[in-house]
Amino acid sequence: MSDSTHSPATGHAAEESKFAAYVQIAMLLAVITGVEIAVIGLPFAKWLLVSVLVVLSAVKFMFVIFYFMHLRWDKVFCTILFFIGLILAGGTMWALLKLFSVENSVPLSVALNAITDFSRLV
Amino acid sequence: MTSHAATGAIDHHHDHTTSTGIPNKKLLMWAFLASDCMFFGTLISTHLIYRLHPPPGNPVPRQIFDIPLTSFSTFILLMSSLMMALAVNAIQKGNLKSMRFSLLTTILFGSIFLGGQVFEFNNFVHEHHMTITNSILGTTFYTLTGTHGTHVAIGVLWLGLMYVRSFKAAAPTPGSYPWLGNLLHVLALVAAILLSMKLVLSLVWGLQEHGMSAATLGGIARAQWLAIVGAVVAFGALRWFARPAGPVQFDQRNAVDVEMMGLYWHFVDIVWIVIFTAVYLLEYL
Repeated sequence: MSDSTHSPATGHAAEESKFAAYVQIAMLLAVITGVEIAVIGLPFAKWLLVSVLVVLSAVKFMFVIFYFMHLRWDKVFCTILFFIGLILAGGTMWALLKLFSVENSVPLSVALNAITDFSRLV
Repeated sequence: MTSHAATGAIDHHHDHTTSTGIPNKKLLMWAFLASDCMFFGTLISTHLIYRLHPPPGNPVPRQIFDIPLTSFSTFILLMSSLMMALAVNAIQKGNLKSMRFSLLTTILFGSIFLGGQVFEFNNFVHEHHMTITNSILGTTFYTLTGTHGTHVAIGVLWLGLMYVRSFKAAAPTPGSYPWLGNLLHVLALVAAILLSMKLVLSLVWGLQEHGMSAATLGGIARAQWLAIVGAVVAFGALRWFARPAGPVQFDQRNAVDVEMMGLYWHFVDIVWIVIFTAVYLLEYL
């Protein structure tokens, strides 16, 4: 993350090694994407597969923001600023998904029809 | 931007002339990206909430989605991120030629992604009858992925403008109109991208419909002859504009501009990483 104290020599060496690091990270991200696609076909519990997919996506996300977007080498304030937005977004998503579950999103007319059909059956 | 006193090298990560120590342009971009996180967060949530309202006749979203195509698009966008990172790395070292090559490759990958999205949307509308108005799934899906696609299109345009800017002459010839040359350069680049996309999509649709044969290829060539001529002219113009023409105004000192654009491009990539999992892959569980 933030590192404003390294010497010019080490900074230059870091710049030189970035090229190889970028290529390796891109290959790793491609492999993770392949794993994600393979995971959805595995016969495991849904919660486990969802957890694995979320973790793999988070790993890809972190690699991109810390290496490709240079957060690893920039001042820590950039990380804080971005994570403020990220946490607010995550909180908003969590709240929305808690308030409105997928089942509750069924339109009222459809729900009323279902109740009517059920009443007829009873 | 500041210089290391000992080596004279530019420190691309810190700017001691600002109170934060961060280049103002970079700070602005990080603030914008933080706000864009919230924007996409709400769009993704809305889609997840309303995803069980597919169009009539297609009750399950996974019957509509095409995972091989989406996986290919994901791979392409990841590779575009790599090329963008290499472009930033190149200009930070003052390697203008390498930066231009990396920018053009990023533009190519971004255009392939956009072409894939056009193909996907066309397939959804005509094959699966999912439009933006006939189902809530369609509304949330097209709004989310369309907004992301718009971000990609803006990114491609920005990359193109940066590429053209890197040719701006340090000392224009007196009496000439350098802005006109830059404008024509941009137009040639936009025309090359759009016409290439049109030709590739026509080829894919033609082969899908009639199969691979000389007659099919001939038919496509006849139907698209104007686009082919236009593309050849546009690529010829791009080659001509890229000829060596003396010193330019673009160098290491502009690295922060390229980096800021790179931040935007990588953000588009990380949003797709989330969309790929949340919208596409989770439907298959």
